[in-house]
Amino acid sequence: MKLLWKTSILFTFLFFLLISPALADVQRIYDHADLLTDEQVQELEKQAANYFEEWNTDFIIITTEDTNGKTIMKYMQDFTDELKDEFNRQEDNMAVITIDMDSRMVDIAGFGIAEKYIDDERIELILDHVTPYFSQGDYYKAFKLFFEKADEYLDIRPGVNPESVFFNTFFQLAVAVVLAAIIVFLMAYTSGGRVTVTSGTYLNRSSSRIISKRDRYLRKTVTRRKKPSANNNGGGGGFRGGGGGITGAGRSHSGGRRGF
Amino acid sequence: MVIHYKCPNCGSDMAFDAESGALSCGNCGRQDNIEDFSDEFIETVFEEDEAKEYHCNNCGANIVTDADTTATSCSFCGAAVVLADRVSGILAPSLVIPFTISKRQAEEAFIKWCRKGLLTPRGFMSASRIKKITGIYVPFWLYDLKNEAKVHAVGTRVRTYSRGEYIYTETKYYDVYRDLRIDFSRVPVDASEKMDDKLMDKLEPYQYSDLKDFKTPYLAGYIAEKYNYDAKELFPRVKEKMNKPLDDFIRSTVSGYTSVRYKNKNITTKSRKSLYTMLPVWMVYYDYDQSEHIFAMNGQTGKVVGKPPLSKGKIAAWFGGIAGGSFLLMKIISFIVTGGGIL
Repeated sequence: MKLLWKTSILFTFLFFLLISPALADVQRIYDHADLLTDEQVQELEKQAANYFEEWNTDFIIITTEDTNGKTIMKYMQDFTDELKDEFNRQEDNMAVITIDMDSRMVDIAGFGIAEKYIDDERIELILDHVTPYFSQGDYYKAFKLFFEKADEYLDIRPGVNPESVFFNTFFQLAVAVVLAAIIVFLMAYTSGGRVTVTSGTYLNRSSSRIISKRDRYLRKTVTRRKKPSANNNGGGGGFRGGGGGITGAGRSHSGGRRGF
Repeated sequence: MVIHYKCPNCGSDMAFDAESGALSCGNCGRQDNIEDFSDEFIETVFEEDEAKEYHCNNCGANIVTDADTTATSCSFCGAAVVLADRVSGILAPSLVIPFTISKRQAEEAFIKWCRKGLLTPRGFMSASRIKKITGIYVPFWLYDLKNEAKVHAVGTRVRTYSRGEYIYTETKYYDVYRDLRIDFSRVPVDASEKMDDKLMDKLEPYQYSDLKDFKTPYLAGYIAEKYNYDAKELFPRVKEKMNKPLDDFIRSTVSGYTSVRYKNKNITTKSRKSLYTMLPVWMVYYDYDQSEHIFAMNGQTGKVVGKPPLSKGKIAAWFGGIAGGSFLLMKIISFIVTGGGIL
């Protein structure tokens, strides 16, 4: 009986220890460049808190007009190193989007779980989605979209392309309908009996033969084209750079960034 | 001239029995091997006369036939008769494949086939309305063809390799020539005007191991037709029928190229032999939904051909089932592959 009491107290203690960071008032939106209204910041904070409950991952937004001479990645790394100490979590899971209005760059990074689930390739996909809204100046919509995509990708096994056409419901529907049409057509077509003789049925194999043959080389033509260079990312869209890195505090992350 | 086969035991009319392959007496059960049966066949060449009247030797009634019939039964007493002058002389068949499927077996096989139809309406599947099932010996010509083909073509071999900063595509051209001898044996072509060529083509193949020298008793108890087109008239059709097999053989001798463009194919086809052959077919007449459907069954192998009616409901059900099933399957695969992220 004593043991039961002890364990239940221990569990209650552990429970509060686990949920206490979620209950604490944590700031996840740092709009230093004033791109959002107060209501928008509040709304995004609320959503980020919900996502934390779902994924145990902090969805962080950082905007700035001055990176103190650092690259946007370095700025993000230093900023989140500090945040990590401030949050003091057991697991360091973050999905971070950083906007530098000075260089007009957007940077996305994933730490912990997010490094695995929102890897460099998926970050490129998210950048494809959000960069147009940043270019248009619709920052709120872009951040919301970032949240939605990060949330979506955290649910998809790593290594799978989440935007693959094979997962598209309309594509799947079209394939199913075409497949069924072909099969049913063949069923109807062959219902009257199929021709079962082949080209070999009446061939007399013992007397059919090659009497003489000739394969004479005539000439050759050679065409050449330049090899596509390996680090050609398609061009356009200003600055691009991919890949994650390791922060000053030794935290590794996935990453990708683009000009807008 | 009418031939009856009288039972040496009891004098009843005998007919060919598909299950035993013998000439059988329906009255006393006597069976005689056709190969050994004394050939009463009288080799008299009559002039072909379509208005000729035949009389049944049993009852004396007129045997009503059309001009192409060579075997039938007397419509009054039911005796199996063979019209001798229509299977003699130039009209004498060389070979025959006897029926190996009896009327009873044919009916069972047809009912089974109807049940297997995935798109046939339910009412049709019971096969309860077989109106008539008739065993017919259909006249065919079996051609032995000798083809000589001289083929000129240009073949290419394509190779790609990379050197330095470039990818090279090298195409080598070859002058290809083939002198071929291609033989086909016993290609069947239906020689009856009444039979639908497409239907008859689908009945193939027949097993030639059962080919027998023609003897009139095989026809006893069945309907038989004589040919309307002789071997020469049908030669273009057999040539056309062998076009694809010829091309396939030619293609099989030109290998090792990335692409082959044929410049000319000089093919001469000669018929070395054409044998007038009777092949067994069960014709099934079936009434469904106020219209008659005709099916043909290979009397040797039991293969059924002919268009059954299609049920719109069943087509819709299959379509829906396959489309829905494959859609669901794709959804399940996405679910598994993405670890539950995408449904």
